[in-house]
Amino acid sequence: MDALIARADAIRPLSELKAVKTRDSGKGKAKANSKGKSKYNHIANKKLRSQLVHQHALNSNLSKNALETQQNLLSLAADDAGSIQVTGPLEKTWRVSQDEIVASVGGEAAKGRRELTFGPGQGAKRMKWSQNGKGGTKVSSVDWMGGNVNCEVDLLAGSNLAGAGGNGGGGEAARDVTFLQDQSFFAVAQKRNVFVYDRDGVEVHRLNNIIDPLRLDFLPWHWLLVAVVHELWASILHRYDHGNADSCAPHEAGCLQYPHSNRHNAVVHLGHQNGCVTLWTPNLPKPAVQILSHMGPVTSISVNPSDGGSAGSVNMPGRYMATAGRDGKVKIWDCRNWKGVVREWTVRGAGDVELEWSQKGYLGVLSGGSVNVYHPPHIVTPYTGSSSSAAPPLYLSHPIPHKPLQCLRFEPFSDVLAIGHNKGLSSILVPGVGEPQFDSLEADPFENAKARREREVKGLLDKIQPDLITLDPSMVGKFDSAALSASGSSLVATAAQSLLDKSDKVKWGANVQVKNVGVDVPFSRMKRVERLAVQGKLDTTGAGDDSEDSDVEMKEGGDGDSDDEGGLTREEMSKKRKMRGKNKSLKRYLRKQRKNVVDPQVLAVRAKVDRMREEAKAKKLQMKAGGAVEENKRKSALDRFKAGSGK
Amino acid sequence: MVKISVLQHNPALHVPIRPGDPTPVQRNLNPSMHPFAKARERTRALNAAKLDKIFSKPFVDSLEGHIDAVEVLTKPLESLTTVASGSWDGGLILHNLHTRSEMLKLPQAHKGKISGLCFADPKGSRLLSCGVDRNVRLWKVGTGDGEDDSGASSQEPLHVYPWKTSFNSIDHHRSDPLFATASSTVQIWDETKSAPVSNLTFPTSNETVSSVRFNLAEPSVLASVGSDRTFTLYDIRTGKAERRVVMQFRSNALAWSPTLPTMALLASEDHNLYTFDVRHMAAPVQIYKGHVAAVMSCEWAPTGVEFVSGGWDRTVRIWSSREAGGKEKGPGGREVVYHTKRMQRVTSTIYSSDARYVLSGSDDGNVRIWKAKASDKLGVITARERASMEYRESLVKRWSVDKDVGRVMRTRHLPKSVYKAGQLKHTMLEARRVKDERRRKHTRAGEQKPVAEKKKTVITEQS
Repeated sequence: MDALIARADAIRPLSELKAVKTRDSGKGKAKANSKGKSKYNHIANKKLRSQLVHQHALNSNLSKNALETQQNLLSLAADDAGSIQVTGPLEKTWRVSQDEIVASVGGEAAKGRRELTFGPGQGAKRMKWSQNGKGGTKVSSVDWMGGNVNCEVDLLAGSNLAGAGGNGGGGEAARDVTFLQDQSFFAVAQKRNVFVYDRDGVEVHRLNNIIDPLRLDFLPWHWLLVAVVHELWASILHRYDHGNADSCAPHEAGCLQYPHSNRHNAVVHLGHQNGCVTLWTPNLPKPAVQILSHMGPVTSISVNPSDGGSAGSVNMPGRYMATAGRDGKVKIWDCRNWKGVVREWTVRGAGDVELEWSQKGYLGVLSGGSVNVYHPPHIVTPYTGSSSSAAPPLYLSHPIPHKPLQCLRFEPFSDVLAIGHNKGLSSILVPGVGEPQFDSLEADPFENAKARREREVKGLLDKIQPDLITLDPSMVGKFDSAALSASGSSLVATAAQSLLDKSDKVKWGANVQVKNVGVDVPFSRMKRVERLAVQGKLDTTGAGDDSEDSDVEMKEGGDGDSDDEGGLTREEMSKKRKMRGKNKSLKRYLRKQRKNVVDPQVLAVRAKVDRMREEAKAKKLQMKAGGAVEENKRKSALDRFKAGSGK
Repeated sequence: MVKISVLQHNPALHVPIRPGDPTPVQRNLNPSMHPFAKARERTRALNAAKLDKIFSKPFVDSLEGHIDAVEVLTKPLESLTTVASGSWDGGLILHNLHTRSEMLKLPQAHKGKISGLCFADPKGSRLLSCGVDRNVRLWKVGTGDGEDDSGASSQEPLHVYPWKTSFNSIDHHRSDPLFATASSTVQIWDETKSAPVSNLTFPTSNETVSSVRFNLAEPSVLASVGSDRTFTLYDIRTGKAERRVVMQFRSNALAWSPTLPTMALLASEDHNLYTFDVRHMAAPVQIYKGHVAAVMSCEWAPTGVEFVSGGWDRTVRIWSSREAGGKEKGPGGREVVYHTKRMQRVTSTIYSSDARYVLSGSDDGNVRIWKAKASDKLGVITARERASMEYRESLVKRWSVDKDVGRVMRTRHLPKSVYKAGQLKHTMLEARRVKDERRRKHTRAGEQKPVAEKKKTVITEQS
């Protein structure tokens, strides 16, 4: 027996053995471990604590390794990245013309500069690049690398509609196009419906439930097709996977102009005719954010996809939004707090201003007859000079003679900017705008058919549910802060507790213990009041107890009588009533019984009556005050055109 | 002069050099290149959890042959394929798990029930059986390997050890030619002698011993459970009972842990399993709750982490001692439940020596083979498949706190009878708890304090 116990006592926990070993061998790991240990000292559960310490050590190792690897990768890619280097202060990058760039880079790279001419009056109005930048859609899908047009969809009877049409022409005009998951399918918003074509231009699907679409966008990780419908003035998110399209979250959104989906949180930004920008998620019936951005219709929105080259810093991707309006302004907004404009400037030239951010954070602005590109740090740094509306320093400028210029799109993983205009399509070289290091597992311009198929299947398997679209994408995988704070404090924030606020505690006295309601205590074991609170039937508006209630009721109920009875105390009142013979013993008995019963219906009715009375009172006051009602109304952009505003 | 360079990818670097080569992969670990990485990983974890449920088909095969309920199962220490089973009609079958055939069948090994079986050597060439016919028989059985000539089995026992009382359990010493039997007393026998060498009992004991097991690390230590609701420890060198604990309910079976020398597992009549550290017998180390009827058998996996139990509620359950103690999953962790329509009360369960399979013998006369891990894939697994399985496993583990992933993992189907019995049991226990609470509330403050479940288990400790 003793031998057995001696054997058992000799067994030590694995952690102790490890501790001995680390003391012998290396100090680095022990240090990391000890740091983790001190971090989790407050956790009482031994098993959990050791698990967390272990995880902490693993994570710190992993992040260190990942950082190292990333730096190596970037140093590799640094040679590939494009740039314009000036040698003196007198040399300006914007003086460099396209011809000079083409002449100096030469060879393969110069092929990025291209002019595609479509038929007369059939220029490119809308275009999109696919995820990996292999092909661009201009309704005719162009295989960019091969330099040949993949397909041209014949929408006008007889004639070849090469450039995304819709520019006033008759027939079945195409209004917008977007690639779906990759370059093998694209959707076209035509006059009647949204049609899906494959890479050869064969119509594979017609989305009957999207009628009269205006704009299209595709959320690649959610496999959602965003369509802005013209007549209903509503944006509809449609689930689309391989021929099955069903309406997922229709929204009434008012008069729309321009949609743009934020690549990093999949929130759809909509620009409106009245100068508003609204942010939409499928799980909210109202916009998540609404800002008045321009004095006039919004023509273009773009969200910065880059993080300013500093991974993990405050400059997270998707932080800045750029908008352009018909008032000729370009504005940069901070998406974290929406507190006013970071920077704004006025652009010259007639026509709608179009803009887009590149992968590296360069901003391309299309206005009048030229395209201007601005470079990163200056776009988002607040301008402190005397004039509040100075444009950031120009990086590159390129005039295009074919007015009107319709749209611009940066090619992913490349230094090419494509511009759609009246005659067709031109592409220019803008050194430095493209991400040099692509990730083959996300988007690969060089992927073969097999890799493409595999990525499509994996993408479908990893499809994120539309409900998870929120303004803060890091919400997934985090603790629910409410639950976290609840576990820390003694009072648990629950539905019941939030309803049972301080005044109720006064009202119901010690009978109500809001502690731990809803977390540990099941519904069947709750107090009646707590149950009512959870069900939402609790009267949270009322004051004091029953007798006080009746007092108030009486005072406010009879307006005329209140004057002569107002001065009386409760005792006097009851005496008076007694004299009138109104206080029968049975009645008193019944009232006392009633007093001790908490009936949800009675409480609800009482609450409703109180609320109505309050409202009536407020209205009365307003009537007395006069024009105060008008002041509270929200201002619209169009208000300034009103007669008599005069400001 | 202005220096201009434009981003160019060399296409030659991104296609395989020779046909058949893998396509080169380029990576960028910048988080901005991987939007929704977390959300996508969560979706993958959810899918992995669902796949795990889809693939969980634990039943492998059923070994038939007995004409009455199977009472005991046993396996030799060093064989992966040999398993012996004894039934209520006195039949004894030696199964080969690999071929799923009978190596030896003795329809009348004993008259009446075979109550205990054990192999007399690690190779499994001799088998000891005891029964209610008051005999212990030693059989020579072939291992089926064909290594030696003596591999042939015989229909006649090598030796018969008669005694006055019927036996309930038998276990062989790890190294010496000794074995212990359980009847009204615990007796130690020498293989070469026809009468017991010694008689071990606790001085004041008057009980029927239902199970007896030698310790695995210290083979002279012996433990037994019996009808007196006791768990008793003996030392065969001193030849007496060392100490015992009396519990609230009697235990039906007993198993020593293969890795922790002092850890014993008891299958109790009160639907629970208990692990005891014999150094501190005042309270069990852990209580494993889950069965909805008496637990009839239990055995540790060779890893010493998991164990299997079978019960009167017609289920086989696999528990992990490593998961125990979590607040969310209940005190004993969350066990895996195996059941089929035709399986009746489970009387015996064992783990295979490679810890990949679980065997159960039940009242319907079948020995069933189950996978120890329900979603395990049998057969050859390629390296890629293995990697993806491991990835899925770690994903599920990492995201198990997620609401949806946790829900998928938690959901399990139980037979209606077991489910309802569980509900009823819960109601009753809850009512008892509430009653206790109320009683406490209405006594003077501080007079009655709640007693921990573990403390309630043991009534006294005697030595």
